[in-house]
Amino acid sequence: MKFDNIIIGGGLSGLTCGIKLAEQGKKCAIVSSGQSAIHFFSGSFDLLGKANGEEVTNPLESMKSLPENHPYKRVGLDKIERLTNDALHLLVRSGLNLNGQADRNHYTLTPMGVMKPTWLTLSDFTSFDQKDSFPWKKAVILNFSGFLDFHTLFIKDGLKKLDVQAQIKTVSMKQFEAIRKNPSEMRSTNIAKEFDKENAIEEFAQKANVLSDGFDVVILPAVFGLFNKTIADKLKEKIEKPVLLLPAIPPSVPGIRTQITLRERFQELGGTYLLGDNVEEGVFENGRLLEIRTNNHGDIKFEADQFILASGSFYSKGIVATHDKLYEPIFGLDIDGDSNREKWFDEKIFNDQAFMHYGVKTDQKFRALMNGEPVENLYVAGSVLGGANPLKEGSGAGISLLTSLHAAEQILK
Amino acid sequence: MNKNRSKEYDVIIIGGGATGAGTARDCAMRGLSVLLVERHDFATGATGRNHGLLHSGARYAVTDHESAAECIEENMILRKIANHCIEENNGLFLTLPEDDIAFQSQFVDACTSAGISTEIIDPKLALRMEPSANPDIIGAVKVPDGSVDPFRLTMSNALDAKLKGADILTQHEVVDILKDQDRVNGVELFDHAKKEKVKYYGKIVCNAAGIWGHNIARFAGVNINMFPAKGSLLIFGHRVNKMVLNRCRKPANADILVPGDTICLIGTTSERIPIEEIDNMYVSKDDVDVLIREGVKLSPSLATTRILRAYAGVRPLVAADDDPSGRSISRGIVLMDHKERDGLEGFITITGGKLMTYRLMAEEATDLICKKLDVDKKCETANIPLQGSEKSDETLNNVSQKVYSVNGITQKSAKDRHGSLAHKIAKGDENEDSMVCECEGVSIGEVKYAINELHVNNLIDLRRRTRVGMGTCQGELCACRAAGLLCESMEEPGKAKDDLANFLQERWKGMSPIAWGETINEIQFTSWIYEGIYGLKPDNN
Amino acid sequence: MKKEIFEPYNVSDNNFEQCVKCTICTVYCPVLEVNPDYPGPKQSGPDGERMRLKDPAFYDEALKLCLNCKRCEVACPSGVKIGDIIQSARIKYSKSKPKLRDMILANTDIVGTMASTFAPIVNTAVALKPVRKVMDSVLKIDHHRMFPKYTGLRFETWYRRYAEKKQQEFKKHVSYFHGCYVNYNFPQQGKDLIKVMNAAGYGVHLLEKEKCCGVALISNGLIKQATKQAKHNVEAFKKSIVDKKMPVISTSSTCIFTIRDEYPHLLGVKNEEIRNDSELATRFIFRLIDEGKLNLVFKKNYKKRIAYHTPCHMEKLGWSIYSTSLLKMIPGVELVQLESQCCGIAGTYGFKKENYQTSQEVGKPLFDQIENSKVDFVATDCETCKWQIEMSTSSKVQHPISILAEAIDVEATMKLWQK
Repeated sequence: MKFDNIIIGGGLSGLTCGIKLAEQGKKCAIVSSGQSAIHFFSGSFDLLGKANGEEVTNPLESMKSLPENHPYKRVGLDKIERLTNDALHLLVRSGLNLNGQADRNHYTLTPMGVMKPTWLTLSDFTSFDQKDSFPWKKAVILNFSGFLDFHTLFIKDGLKKLDVQAQIKTVSMKQFEAIRKNPSEMRSTNIAKEFDKENAIEEFAQKANVLSDGFDVVILPAVFGLFNKTIADKLKEKIEKPVLLLPAIPPSVPGIRTQITLRERFQELGGTYLLGDNVEEGVFENGRLLEIRTNNHGDIKFEADQFILASGSFYSKGIVATHDKLYEPIFGLDIDGDSNREKWFDEKIFNDQAFMHYGVKTDQKFRALMNGEPVENLYVAGSVLGGANPLKEGSGAGISLLTSLHAAEQILK
Repeated sequence: MNKNRSKEYDVIIIGGGATGAGTARDCAMRGLSVLLVERHDFATGATGRNHGLLHSGARYAVTDHESAAECIEENMILRKIANHCIEENNGLFLTLPEDDIAFQSQFVDACTSAGISTEIIDPKLALRMEPSANPDIIGAVKVPDGSVDPFRLTMSNALDAKLKGADILTQHEVVDILKDQDRVNGVELFDHAKKEKVKYYGKIVCNAAGIWGHNIARFAGVNINMFPAKGSLLIFGHRVNKMVLNRCRKPANADILVPGDTICLIGTTSERIPIEEIDNMYVSKDDVDVLIREGVKLSPSLATTRILRAYAGVRPLVAADDDPSGRSISRGIVLMDHKERDGLEGFITITGGKLMTYRLMAEEATDLICKKLDVDKKCETANIPLQGSEKSDETLNNVSQKVYSVNGITQKSAKDRHGSLAHKIAKGDENEDSMVCECEGVSIGEVKYAINELHVNNLIDLRRRTRVGMGTCQGELCACRAAGLLCESMEEPGKAKDDLANFLQERWKGMSPIAWGETINEIQFTSWIYEGIYGLKPDNN
Repeated sequence: MKKEIFEPYNVSDNNFEQCVKCTICTVYCPVLEVNPDYPGPKQSGPDGERMRLKDPAFYDEALKLCLNCKRCEVACPSGVKIGDIIQSARIKYSKSKPKLRDMILANTDIVGTMASTFAPIVNTAVALKPVRKVMDSVLKIDHHRMFPKYTGLRFETWYRRYAEKKQQEFKKHVSYFHGCYVNYNFPQQGKDLIKVMNAAGYGVHLLEKEKCCGVALISNGLIKQATKQAKHNVEAFKKSIVDKKMPVISTSSTCIFTIRDEYPHLLGVKNEEIRNDSELATRFIFRLIDEGKLNLVFKKNYKKRIAYHTPCHMEKLGWSIYSTSLLKMIPGVELVQLESQCCGIAGTYGFKKENYQTSQEVGKPLFDQIENSKVDFVATDCETCKWQIEMSTSSKVQHPISILAEAIDVEATMKLWQK
């Protein structure tokens, strides 16, 4: 089966790259080995939240201090600003509503009640200009009885530090009685499925309006709008007070909606999205990847002019660790990382862990290296790239978006 | 917690391991007023850091007849008094092609003379009994080994002591032994929760602090030479074997594979370490490699089984000779009356021994205490079941099914963990049935019960009581849920966040030596959630 | 440039241990959404497996509520075979005995043989309300269900009488695993397959006595019988594939999925020798076209708006792309790709009275999609999806092969390769 471009990995990088290429008329396929890490999306895309241990206010400016092998530096800081605009527009064209700008971080409140700097935030969530001032004085935190993944006391504690007086209240609704009886399934997504049916939202809003009497703001878990894209807005219309949603994961309701939105955009542009399939090997010739063989399609191989590897980090099995080595499991590409496992870790979990920096080696054009030589038509994007600790930097989404756009541009040149 | 600082206790027992808790129970049952003090939590020392093997004694039969005989006797007693803490799954001693089959007959003879029943099994039959065993075995002997959960065992002893009037202080570290001339009359403690020092007085102070008893003795001005030998173990993700598997040879590295609750574990290595390192145990790369290499010989499927954690404990042996491995030393019980040994009245030390003989050690220590206090009461700990083990299994099933929970997994798991005490897990609304820990089937009700009744100060304690966070995900999904519940009972939520961070650190300590495969994926995921999305830091307060 | 050989050195080979507890599977379980009595794929699968290895008493009979749709497996980012784990646990631990009703539903071929022999009577009878009421109350087969009509002339008989001889005229040959539905209920689908394959230049042959693939036996706990039939079929496939070098194609996605994947995974019946050459007709035809070995010519006057529904087992196989690609090749077809969702019937599951409501609720989002799609009819590769959609919506359903058969210009197509 012949495509112009094949992307391995259906997460944020893979979809961004696929959408960009499909928008330019390329016939694309994405092979995804399962649902992606967007399912744990906090609701905010980070560009650069921290550099040298300090919180960043202007990501574009602070990028200058990053090490030379950082993906941003390798894309080229001269291109980054334009790519951040492109990324925003691509996401908006896909149907996401986002707030934020690349030259000035804003803040969002985490489910621990802590302010965190970020770049683009879904309109479900509230963006704050300042990290130490909260626009409301009295907050009511509402949770659904029996829902364990919304940590109200931690939020209350965080708000106290922002001089906000918060009170926790619980809402019971008969719509949730059924799932509450199941001891493991009172999950964010199962609550969201009830709200998706729309009839629960009215009743909930009424209850919330009564419970929020005397408060300035209503804080709720983000369990609105899984498959139904209008519910989060309906909720905000019906609740009289301002609504502040906080992520309640795993999994993330707005995250799954984001994944679906991007996937649908890709498919509407004619893209083929193959879910639940694994690429097992590639056929190489003269330093080029000619075609790939997947588990589901066996002898019917997929050919393409260019391939993009966006298979993610360890969690997504873009890189695999065994007791004595690291490897890239699809093609056996070169890895930037130590083979001695004692070097992978720091004994303190909150310290910078070396393994978080590991990834596939590439040349300056982000083409994968195999036995030291670049594969002419295999580009690498997203978190399977090494050279950064996205967790410590708050740069994961930025690296995914910008390197995948960069890869797409190389291909479109 | 009931504590009366003006009161003089009959006995103050230092150390919340099995021996300390067992001694507290025995003393309380004999009518003494008891204070049990522990610097961290129950079973944090050697008690909780071993195989969890209900030894038949067979392992010691050839090298240490006395220990073997003690073991089988205590083994039979524990089956009676602690049925909810043990599993009577039996054990096999396997001879591999590389082992000397002649050892088997020597082994069987030694077992017989120690009173341990053995049965030589045809290797083919042995493989049917235990399909996970190495198919190349050339010999197998069945022995009455089993599994014991040291956390439950210790907690049950402590609960029983408390029921009989003992006071218990965890998070209280001995910083000094109080003396009046040649007589010990109390302890000075540092309260880790309140960050303050307090004094308690007693007629007798019993040092049951295991390897840490070395330092306790120093406070009293006496010297005991402890012999710290580190033993490392690996925990595998699920039960590979149903029976305990041993190598039929002289004790060596990694030759016991024990099934315990949802997991199984292989151990141990043995390495002499300096006494200064006993609080900072680390499992090295070499330890891990040797455990896997040898473990695979017992059960080849271990090669492809996920490893959850690595951990190490210190054998609390009293140095008697200069054996560098620490193995040929008797695991015999050491009871010291420091009046006789050092001329110091009111101070005794109970050490040596092993988890299997904790009750006997407690009995001997209590006998001495009673003698000193001139109390004439017989020991009854071998006859009266522990808290949670009072009823037969059939009754238990009825009790747990009637009393709480509609869910099979949480219900059965709780019964397995708490025995007849499971009925204390309240049946509230169905919220109480919801699972906090999905890997181990721990319900909200069980967590609340543990917080309210089982001396839980933090998440790590909660883990020992309920297995929260001991499953496959090592806390990824449940730590925050449990922290939220624990937070409700704490004064300061800020502290609960720090507690959560500490818990994740504690989990990481055991994961990092074996962090490859799924473990590295899991830890990356866990870090994304807690640090990336929640914004948790090592210091949140 | 071969990839590094994977070394299973303490990287779990015990598939359930690959679960990192991310909870994604729970989002895509169609049962959980409508029936909270089902513990869900995570609890029933990897979490429960660990418990069951501790003590088989942790087995929960509620696992029978699993539809075996495998959507959890498709969603899982860690490669956990959740559906297989659940079905294997049912096989290993379930103590509940199949009921008479289950035996009747599961033995599609025996019942089919009897029913088709007396087709006019049976069809009339099972369509009668009083009969359905009795079946409902005595057998617990839901009275809403209409049994598919049985044919008076079985496909196999038709083939022997009218088609077999002609097949020898072709140079290239395939075997056809028709399955129970084509044989007893809807021979037309088999006739369509022969029409299309003949047009493509292939003679179509039957296997040496095919037996029911056994999917319904597996789901109703009749494992011994399923294993026996599986072994029989693997041998029959071998005679075609290995001995005669004739690949086996089928028009039923469920049959082929069962033979390829459930035989080795659930029944432990080895099928390596035949697996790669056992596939769906749509995939076989697509490959020929993709490799430039075949061109199809279509009638100019065929104009339809068609919605394609991806059956669960097609989602798992990843093969709906072949069916949709073929449909898109027909110039007059406007294809609407429905969002992939379970229709709820899951073979015999939806026939059972106790599952009827769950089954219909699971399917509702799909039914709504179909009603809103304004198409002439729905295309799908699975016969039970067809029954469910036809019963629950106003739409008719056709198999992609039947659509090809209707749209294809046989003579023009044959001319291309006869030249």
